[in-house]
Amino acid sequence: MAILAHSDDVQPLTAAQAQRYADTADRRTRLFNRCCTAVLIAFALLWLVPLAWALDTALKPNGETINPTWLIENPTLASFRTLLAEGDILDWYAASFIISTLSAAGTVITASLAAYALSRMRFRYRWLAFWFILLGIMIPRQVLIVPQFQELDSVNLLNTYWAVILPSIPIAIAVVVFKQFFDGIPKDLDEAARIDGAGFFHIYRQVVLPLARPALSAVAIFSFVWTWNDLLWPLLALSNPEVMTIPAGLATVQGTYGIRYADTMASAILGALPLVLVFLLFQRRIVEGIAGTGLKG
Amino acid sequence: MNSPPVPRSALTRRDLLRATVLGAGAMAISGCSSIGAGLLATPPASGTVTYWNLFGGGDGIRMREMEDGYRKANPDIELRTATFMWGNPYYTKLALSTVGGRPPDVAASHLTRMKTLVLGNLLQELRPEDLERHGITAEKFNRKAWEAGLVDGKCYAIPIDTHPFVLFYNTKICEQAGLLDAEGNLAPIEGPDAFENALSRVKQVTGRYGATHGITSPSSAPWRLFQTLYAQLGGEVLADDGARVVLDDTKAKQVLDYLRMLTVEKRLMPGSVDYQGAIALFASGAAGFHLNGEWEISTFQDAKMPFSMTLVPNVFGGPYVVQADSHTLVLPVRPEPDPAALDRSIGFVRSMLDQSLTWAQGGHVPTWQPVATSDAYQKLTPQSQYAAAATAAVYDPPGWYSGSGSNFETVMGSAVGAVEAGDLSPEEAIAQLRSKLAVLAATASPV
Amino acid sequence: MASTDITGRAGTVAPARPEPRGGRHARTPKKPRRENRLTGHGRPALLFLAPFLALYLLFIVGPAIYGLVMSLFNTSMVAPGLGEFAGLDNYAEALSSNDFWSSLWHTIWFTILTTPPLVALGLVFALLAERARRARWFFRLAFFLPYVLPSAVVALIWIWMYTPELGLLSRAVTSLGFAEPDWLGNPDFAMVSLAITTVWWTLGFNFVLYLAGLQEIPRELYEASAIDGAGPWQQIRLITVPLLARTTSLVVVLQVIASLKVFDQMYIMTQGGPNFATRSVLQYVFDVGFTDLRSGAAAAASTLFFVVVLAVSTIWLVMTRRQEPEL
Repeated sequence: MAILAHSDDVQPLTAAQAQRYADTADRRTRLFNRCCTAVLIAFALLWLVPLAWALDTALKPNGETINPTWLIENPTLASFRTLLAEGDILDWYAASFIISTLSAAGTVITASLAAYALSRMRFRYRWLAFWFILLGIMIPRQVLIVPQFQELDSVNLLNTYWAVILPSIPIAIAVVVFKQFFDGIPKDLDEAARIDGAGFFHIYRQVVLPLARPALSAVAIFSFVWTWNDLLWPLLALSNPEVMTIPAGLATVQGTYGIRYADTMASAILGALPLVLVFLLFQRRIVEGIAGTGLKG
Repeated sequence: MNSPPVPRSALTRRDLLRATVLGAGAMAISGCSSIGAGLLATPPASGTVTYWNLFGGGDGIRMREMEDGYRKANPDIELRTATFMWGNPYYTKLALSTVGGRPPDVAASHLTRMKTLVLGNLLQELRPEDLERHGITAEKFNRKAWEAGLVDGKCYAIPIDTHPFVLFYNTKICEQAGLLDAEGNLAPIEGPDAFENALSRVKQVTGRYGATHGITSPSSAPWRLFQTLYAQLGGEVLADDGARVVLDDTKAKQVLDYLRMLTVEKRLMPGSVDYQGAIALFASGAAGFHLNGEWEISTFQDAKMPFSMTLVPNVFGGPYVVQADSHTLVLPVRPEPDPAALDRSIGFVRSMLDQSLTWAQGGHVPTWQPVATSDAYQKLTPQSQYAAAATAAVYDPPGWYSGSGSNFETVMGSAVGAVEAGDLSPEEAIAQLRSKLAVLAATASPV
Repeated sequence: MASTDITGRAGTVAPARPEPRGGRHARTPKKPRRENRLTGHGRPALLFLAPFLALYLLFIVGPAIYGLVMSLFNTSMVAPGLGEFAGLDNYAEALSSNDFWSSLWHTIWFTILTTPPLVALGLVFALLAERARRARWFFRLAFFLPYVLPSAVVALIWIWMYTPELGLLSRAVTSLGFAEPDWLGNPDFAMVSLAITTVWWTLGFNFVLYLAGLQEIPRELYEASAIDGAGPWQQIRLITVPLLARTTSLVVVLQVIASLKVFDQMYIMTQGGPNFATRSVLQYVFDVGFTDLRSGAAAAASTLFFVVVLAVSTIWLVMTRRQEPEL
């Protein structure tokens, strides 16, 4: 690049010269930035194509989906209507919503309580408890499917929401996230409350939790989205269509009509819709959560 | 991290409100019975029949018609149905739900998959006295299908059809190729050379291919053609309920060489085409023949193309046989026996049998003799033209890993498909088959 | 400011590294405070820990141990009890089975195919986005939205994209004058198709991590280098990329571990086919355990899979410790 020429310039720069160089650099940078933006916009549009195409297909009548065109000659919501009227998708919405909400609530409550004890209390086997929980981060949920299935079978919980909710509550990484966050909250605050005679639960509830809202929201949203999107375990634990979650239902139940692309895409759109909403409403928190913790499903 | 974090980015009341609105919306639009089942494991209201199947495409449409027929005849019984992805995913679901204690009342099963379910204690025995109450007796069925469905002489499954592998042909193309007889039907083709010759004459007409069949996916598809030809040579693959592999390498190689010649060498059939692609090529006139299960009849009827169907030619001589399976209806084991539910379920089965003619429109050969011998069925063409296949049916060999859509079919079909796609030589394919089958055969049966 | 919208308060949510602080804090109280009045919070601590630990023992630790036991038996899904004792037979079977090794290889192959593009594109897009003044919400939408969608939705959409002759991609390729690949039907190409889908699906995650990493690079470095006459390209090469090394190692390891656990895409899009060419380890476990009903053998395969994941995590841990001794 042109800059290299300047390295030969052995004479010290005057202030005016420095300013001029800075200006050219600035102009160059601005041009460069604009190019970057253009390139990225192209990529971003490319990235949106599959979603747009799915929507486009879903709005066509089934018979016209084989036309190789973006143009929708006879736009229709027929596919959506069929699915909502005849399919199980409303049952799946309910299942996904209840399961994910209860899992997220369960994780937030149990993990924050545990993390509070690990962060603020002194007891003999604290290090052991902490390492014991850390161990859980190393165990991928997926390696437990066989024994978990037999376990939940033996207590007759298969094919109920609880078969998915209960195992997805104890997420070890959530305890770690909370503990780090609590560790970062100055102890002076709760020490003061202690002196005023407040109990642990009171401090946890009234002092620590309100300050830990960012961690709470990160864990809640992530737990919700993970549970919502999980496929493998619901596929096994929920075999009745009426209790299936959306991913399990979409992956196993087929329309009775064979290959009708508009219907299939409409079901994909309906399956995506709640998470698109979650994303639009909470996008900043989701993004912050990932950036802050490196949580990955 | 030393100063308290700014609570600005916390979950606010507004966020919670948003979430609640989302949730309330979801609950409002959804039914409540499923939530009861999910949260409290409430069983479906008494007086319901739940029925699971794996029928898509035209079969799915006709099955719905039959279900509606049942609903109309039994307005006081609520029928709940579910259709799952075909093959292993369906059988996995069926087994897991039965293990989990909440099976459907009635389920469809391939005859060749049913035996494994029986050995796993997942199916109820259907006692003759219970069946007789609904007029279901052995002599009203095609004997071959009925007997293939018995396990140790006991009945666990009611066959509703036999579905053989058949030959579809485009009447217009075959006429141009001079392959039709005076009545406009396909003139009999016998022997390997005659079949090859027929394909090359068709290829001259279409300019692309003689015949198509699904090869790359699903991987069980090529198995059906292989099994038909291999059984025509008298070959068998498994013995002792799958514990022993008795593959005859010479016969298998003869079949694979022949298939390789048709695809890789002479390009009479496309070698790397999937199931849907094979159908599309035939439907668009790029090929004059299509080898597939008879169930695709409605696809080609919908395509409004000139076609007919007949038995797959007897390519390798010997007594005529053709690969087939049967759809059956089974009753999974329930945690607690319930005579009323049993009667409702068998009543549903009987209703399906009575509607065999609707089912037969989808190409399946009825096993229920009152329909199979009726004039109405005889008049149904081209469906009744290959009804003889029901008595020439050869089912997949018994074994816990065998049956329609099973690991066995996948192992066999993958190797055969790889030969047709030119990825493996016949010798390599046989070696792959042998090593994979040896593993399956050596594995202790889980049932 | 738009930039803080994306990642500005990243650090306030929680530190990016789980390990270091936890360990340090866990040990601190041992020394000075041991004699202090704070020694005994045993009872309340137990109450606070109990709900989590109970579920944790019941649904994570318990099954993990039960799975280990089961792997030593010929347990069947449909028979009661553990079945007959098999010793290490299940392990021997898996280790000598071509299917197990090829499924492991497919998983690794998938990891190899997805990780480099996901890391490289994530970095490039983040670098580009950093320079964009406007339209950041749009980039976040475009790249990150797919990541929050369920795998089943993504799979359905991409099956349609890949549909021979009708699918959008097939038609795009043909209209550019190339022969249309058999996206999901060709055993050699199916994994590539699955990788393309996965890159589309999960790129947003790395994009966001890199954007956060970029925020942490002090502005002054750029200003100083600009005064020294460095152009944008030099800045990227000499400042940005080296300073993002930590983020990169985090991205890579998360990517590798997530790829090892791949199941959904294959299960829905190819069912592990054609000719088993895309069956992943997890699907092997699934097939053995839940289709063949052989729980014992599946438990053994799960354990072997666990060992692989553990090995990868350990290698990463050792490597990063060497890089940053203070960790």
